Parts: sequence; structure tokens; C-alpha cells
Amino acid sequence: MSVRSNSKRKNAVQSAILPLAFGAVLVTAWQTGLLHKLLNTDEYVLPYPTRILTIIGENSDKIMENVWASLEVALLGLVFGSILGYLIAVFAAAFTKIGSGSLTIISSFNAIPIVALAPVIINWTKDVSPEAEVRSTVAKVVIVTIVCMASMSVNAYRGLTELPAFSQDLMKTYGAGRITEFAKLRLPNSVPYIFTALRVSVPVSIISALVSEYFAEYVIGVGRQIRENILIAQYSTAWAYIIVACVIGIAMYVLLIAAEALVLKKRR
Amino acid sequence: MKIVRKITGSKLFFTLLWIAALIIIWEVFAYQVEQTKRTPENVLPHLSGVVDSITSDKKINGSQTAFQMVMENAGATLSRAAIGYVIGIALGFILALVMSLSGIVEKIVFPYLMLIQIIPILGMAPIINAITGDIAASRIVIAAILTFYPVAANTLAGFKAVKRESHELMYSYSANKFQLYTKMMIPSCIPYFFTGLKISAPMAITASILVDTLQGGVGLGCLLSQSLKGAMTRYVFWDIVFFSAIIGILSFYLIGIIEKLLCPYKKLEQKGR
Amino acid sequence: MRLSKKALAVLITAAMITSAMTACSSSSSSADASSASSSSTAGSSTADGATADGDRIIAAAKEGKVGNWGLGNEYEIFALLTKYGQENKFISQAFDMDGFDDGSITLASAMTYNELGLVKNSYEGGYKYGDKVGIIDMNDEGVAMLEDNLFCTKEFAKKNPNTVKAFIAASMKGWKYACENPEEAAKIVYEAGSSVSSDHQAYMASEVKKLCETDTKGNKVTDYGKMDEAAMQQTLDLAKKYIKLDDSTAADKLKSLTLDDIRSTSYWEDAMKESFDKPEKTDVSIQLKWLPQAQFMGYFVANAKGYYKDVGLNVNIVSGGGDIGETTAVNNGTVDFGVTWVSNLISANAGGMDLLEIAQVYQRSGLVLVYKK
Repeated sequence: MSVRSNSKRKNAVQSAILPLAFGAVLVTAWQTGLLHKLLNTDEYVLPYPTRILTIIGENSDKIMENVWASLEVALLGLVFGSILGYLIAVFAAAFTKIGSGSLTIISSFNAIPIVALAPVIINWTKDVSPEAEVRSTVAKVVIVTIVCMASMSVNAYRGLTELPAFSQDLMKTYGAGRITEFAKLRLPNSVPYIFTALRVSVPVSIISALVSEYFAEYVIGVGRQIRENILIAQYSTAWAYIIVACVIGIAMYVLLIAAEALVLKKRR
Repeated sequence: MKIVRKITGSKLFFTLLWIAALIIIWEVFAYQVEQTKRTPENVLPHLSGVVDSITSDKKINGSQTAFQMVMENAGATLSRAAIGYVIGIALGFILALVMSLSGIVEKIVFPYLMLIQIIPILGMAPIINAITGDIAASRIVIAAILTFYPVAANTLAGFKAVKRESHELMYSYSANKFQLYTKMMIPSCIPYFFTGLKISAPMAITASILVDTLQGGVGLGCLLSQSLKGAMTRYVFWDIVFFSAIIGILSFYLIGIIEKLLCPYKKLEQKGR
Repeated sequence: MRLSKKALAVLITAAMITSAMTACSSSSSSADASSASSSSTAGSSTADGATADGDRIIAAAKEGKVGNWGLGNEYEIFALLTKYGQENKFISQAFDMDGFDDGSITLASAMTYNELGLVKNSYEGGYKYGDKVGIIDMNDEGVAMLEDNLFCTKEFAKKNPNTVKAFIAASMKGWKYACENPEEAAKIVYEAGSSVSSDHQAYMASEVKKLCETDTKGNKVTDYGKMDEAAMQQTLDLAKKYIKLDDSTAADKLKSLTLDDIRSTSYWEDAMKESFDKPEKTDVSIQLKWLPQAQFMGYFVANAKGYYKDVGLNVNIVSGGGDIGETTAVNNGTVDFGVTWVSNLISANAGGMDLLEIAQVYQRSGLVLVYKK
């Protein structure tokens, strides 16, 4: 037992240290210009980490303002999209015949490129509020919601319908009604699938929040700053925001993994 | 009577029902928009208008109609998507294989694969452009990067899902590592591999359209943004929205069909039923 | 206030999503929301009888209804807002004029040769306003910055001086012909594969002609591609004031830039005298600032009329308007020449690029603000 937990700990330490070490090597190569030689690029398109960090340090207030704007959109969209996706899955699982068609429709939304979806939604939400800031936020949240909806509904549907063998029979012998069956069997069974869906939709929510900012009327957000700076050829500043976007992504993903470990551990 | 019940009971029927419902909702709103906006086609056109724009033989530029134009650009985009997709698949599969062979590689590489998905494409584009020195090549490379993650992640999951008993069985046959992989690991991860393929097929197409918008030239994304920027009728934009959605779904099913044709386990499953 | 706006946004989205879920028509809920929020912002309505442009600008700025596309196109608007003592803020305008049409933008940015035509005219894509719109001209307001130019990298110019001169000579010959025959030029662009409707293309050509042949003060210019010293200096001065860069290194460099850092008149002068030898590089490409349209008719005409061939060049015209800007494409060598706005070239050089303007095609600003009369 102790040997096993020891090796487990060793494993965990390894999976934290190895990527970090690799990251350190990467950053060193980047800072020393080795990476530029390998990629055949210059310090203009790919500025040195120190320069990027300096810019982040000098503009921390402005950057934080944009980070909150983007994070708010990504999180709200993720929450709305996931809830909506789950409810659709419940509906589809309850009325299999009518419902499965709706899943096909929902997933077809994902085949529309976000560069096409974003301007459409922004046009559709024009009358929501006379305040540009409000209607832009609404539009961006709706875009992220739509994008996050599909992966949740498809995965949750699997979780609600692909039940362990004989479990349904067991519920029947208990004389459980549909609602009890849902609460005691289907709902718990879908929890791991919810996390599978979130693993996909967390990074997607961030990316789609950033892209939706390109098109939004109210000028704010990390994505907007990246585009703005790339177009006026300020690559160092653009990279500062790219790094910030990556940090947001990693932070949200780590939180998700932690939450998953916590929730699923309790179930075992 | 029986036939009626069979039709109304089928999945396809309900999917069609949903589509019909969507069309009705769309048209109701389109009617409303038509009453209130000066340029309704910018917000929500009637579907008949979209169909008209496809079938119309009115020339949009010097030489082509809307349909010819969409098709020509779709050819460019889809072929780039296909090349990027194939590269992405190969890369994803090889990476999954290497990660499954070496736990250390997996631990090092996997978090970074995640990271690449998070980096906004706009940041990567100029760098990849500088590396390849050619916009067409960078478009393919970016499409590959955007699609390989689902393949790698799912295939790796497939390798991991191989049961311990099977491992022990191969071990008792005293199979070497090469035999282990060719006889057991790779065949048993194929369903997972195909799941990855199905997820990434529509992604390859949307990614290819996205990278089109990076620079002008031939491609659906270029056409889409030109239409958005008022360089041609807005109906071209709507044509592309519908076209990309339909092609995306078809690509998903196409991979499903290929899987059925190629994979023995699918035939087995069907017989079993 | 900020918090309440956010809360409102969340509320509206939640309401929309709930209503979509219950399959109700979402229009009713959004209408409620909009009426609720409009009552909170009532009172900031436009002053009656505001006829002077200054009052109009102040009113629109106070309401937050001045529109621009941003992305490096906003500096003249900033200069104008500052002139009237307003905060440098704008609403991001889409690339159509819907925002202007539906009233969410009361002072919308428009290029005289493009959006203005769409607003006024009744051909396809037009909004049919005719004479019912008024304009505020950046040139008249004294905040004009020069736009479409011709540039390459300093390194390229140094290595291939004859290519550069030959390219300028043939291009300006193309511009001259295009301005003398705008209708034919429009047709040439349309036939070269541009998708802009031929009516709009013809309108565009006639407006572009004015920009090439009139300077910021309204005087006639006869030398196509001439770099007007005073106008260039005004552009640089305004750029230094209104381009805000977060990167302190770049911001410092911007402050120190002089005209000699961004342009060289010698290539254009030699080109006009036709004093150049065989080009060093014969296959060259040029990336436009925007989609292929009559805005760039000079290059299309030079190509179609064989002017480039005459000087020994084989030219590939690359469409712009994507996210890899023309400055980036020229800087990394994907293309040899580019068309950009002088302000964009200035910020690119401040950021560390080494670009050089070699001709100035548009002699005055084509940017106007449009309003409904």
C-alpha cells in the first residue's frame, strides 16, 4: 500500500515537473534566440519573453480591464451554454424520438464557422439595448453559449442514456418511477460525461469569446486587443495579450481538472 | 397504417420535423425584419432569397455567378482543409502512439498540446507565415494544428482503454512491443481514433474557413469576409453560412461511412443486433 | 453604473436564453428589456436644432454614438474629437452601414469612395439616402491624415532601386490613365475579378479620382504620387499625438520619428524622370490595403494596359483586407510592395519594422463622418 501511494506521488510529481522543465527549456531557447533560429523567424514577429513581460507589467491595469471583460463573457457563455445543453440532453433523453433530432440540429450549429456566426448574432441582438456596452456583452455571451451548447448536449445525452448494464432493470425492480430513475440513476451517471464536455468547451469558450470580440461594437477584450495590435503591427503588445489569453486558458483548465478530481473522487 | 407509423416513428422524420420548425421560426423573424429594416438581407434574409441567390445566373464579378463563385472558392478551401486534415490526422496518430509508448513524453507533451489549442490563431498566423514564407502553406499548417488535438487525445484514450487482461494475454504469448502494437493496441484503438476523426472533420473545415480570412485570395473565408465588408451582395455570405454547415455535417457522416466500410468491428456490431 | 450595465447584460442574456428554452418568441422579452433600459438613459437626447458640425460632433460624442472601424483607422476621429474637447472613444462600426441606418450610430465613419456611396446611392447594397445625409470632411476640419500610399521595406528599396523606380513609374502611369478615364478604369477593375458591383465600382473610381487630384487644402495636384511635405508632416504630427502604443519602447520610437524615417522622395523623382535601368527583380507582387476594387484602380490599369510589362516587370496583385496586414506581409517578404495608410506605416515603423513610403497616391483624406439630415 505504502509503496503504491509512494509511486503514485512520484507519478504526480513527475507529471508536474516534466512539463514545467520542458517549459523552462522552451523559454530559455526563446529568450536566447535559439527558438527564432529554429523557427526561422525574427524577434519582431516573436519578441523576447522579457520584452513581453515588461509590457504586461507596464500595462497591468489596462490588461486586467480587458481580461475581466473577456473572462466574464467566456464564463457566462460557458455556464449558460452548459445548462442549456444539459437541459436539451435531458429533453432528448426523456423523449428519445423527438429529442435525438434536436441533437443533430444543435451539433450542426457547430459546423458554422465562428467568423460567420459572430456577425450574425451581433446583428440579431442589435435591438436588445441602446447601450453599446450592454448589447455587445449580450451578443458575445450568446455566441459563446451557442458554441458551448453542442458539446454539452451531445456528451450529456450519452451520459443520460448509456447506462451500466442491468441498472435500469434494477431500478424497475425497486419500482422506481421515471423521476426517481432520472434523479438516482441517469443524473449521477451523466456526471463524468459533463466533465468530458467541459474539457472540450472550456478552451472553446475562451477562443470563441476572443473571436466574438473582434466583431463586437463595444471595443474591449483580450481578443480585440490582440487583433488591434497585430493589425497596427505592434507584435510585442499583441504577444503580451496572447500570453495573457494563454494564462486565462490554463487557469480555467486547471480549475476544471481540480473540480473534476474533487467531484469524481467523492463518488468513488 | 403501419407504414405511417413506421415513418412517423423514424429518427429521420423527427429530424426533418425539427428542420421544418426551424425554417418556420426563421421565416417569421425574416418577415418581421423585412418590415423594419432597410437592408433586411444584412440581418436575416428570407430563405427563398438565399435559394434565389444560389440559382440566379446573375454575374457577381466579371465572370461568375454566386453559385460558381462559392463552388470555386469552396474547392480551394475544402482541398486545403483536406490536406490539413490528413496531416493533422497523421500527426495526431503518431503523437498518440509516441505518448502511449513513453509516459515521459506524454507528460511533457500533452499539456502543450492543450496549450496550442488555446493560443489565439491570430497570434500564430504571422509566425507560421514567416516560417513557411507562403500563405497557402501556412493555411494548411494552421488547419492541421487546429485539427490534430482531437485525434491525438482520442487515440491516446483508445490506447489507454486496452484492458489489462489483454496486455497480460499478449505478454503470455511473449509478444514483443512491435507485435503488441500491430496486433493488439492499434486495432483496438481504432474506434477511438475514428471518434477523433469525426470530431475533427467539421473542425478542419471551419478552421480552413477561419484561416482564409487571414489574407485575401481564393477561399470561402475570403469570400465570406468580402461579402461582410460589402464588396459583394450579402447573400453570398448567407450561401457560405449554409454551405459550411451542410458540408460540416456531411463530413461527420462521411467519416462514419468510411468507418463502417473499413472496420470489421462495425460489421460485427451490426450483425450482433 | 458599470456594474448595473453588466448586470443588465447578464439579465438580458438570461432572459433571452430562458425564453428561447421555453420556445417563446424571444422578441417580446428583448423588447421589454430594451424599453426598460432606454428609460434609464432617457434625458441624454440630442439637442434640438443642432445644425453646426461642431455641435453635432459634441452631441454624438456625448451620447457615445460616433462610429469608426478601429484597427488603425481611428486616429483622424480622435483628432476631431479632441478638437471639440471630447473623449477619444468610438463605437466599433461593422463594415456595412447598418449601424448608421438603424440609428445606433449617429455619426458614422465613411470613405468618400466607398461607404458614402453605399449610403447615398440606390444600386445593390445601397441605403438610398440620397441628399438626406450630410458629411463632415476631415480635410475641412484640419485633421486630415494621408491615406493610400505605396511602400516597400528599406532593405528591398536599397537592393532593388531600379525595380522600385520602374514599379513607381508604371504604377503612376496607370493612376494617370485611370484618373483620366475613370469609367474605363472601373470596368478594368471589375473585369480583373473584383466582386464589387460595377455601378458601385464606377462611383468609386470617380471619387478616387478626386482624392488623387486634390490636396488637403482643395488645390489641384497634377503629379500623381507626389509626397506633399506639409500634408506628410501634418500626418506625422497627428500620428504622434493620437497613436497610443502600450509598448513603451515603441511609444518612445514613435515620438522620435521624423519624415526621413518613413519616406524617401528620391525613388519617385527618378521614376518621374524615367531615369532607371533594368529592374533587378522582375517578378514582384503588391498587397492592397483592402479588397480589390476601384480604390486601387491605378495598379489594375497599369497591369491591364501592359505598363508593367513595358518596364520589364511581371506584377501579381494580392488582395488585402485580411488579418495579416499589408505592413506585416511586406515586412516578412511575402510580398514586395504594399498599399497602406501613412498612419499605419508610422505605427509599424514605431513597432520595429523598417518600411519606406515611396509614393503618395491619395493627396487628401478620404474619411468623412456622415449624419442624417
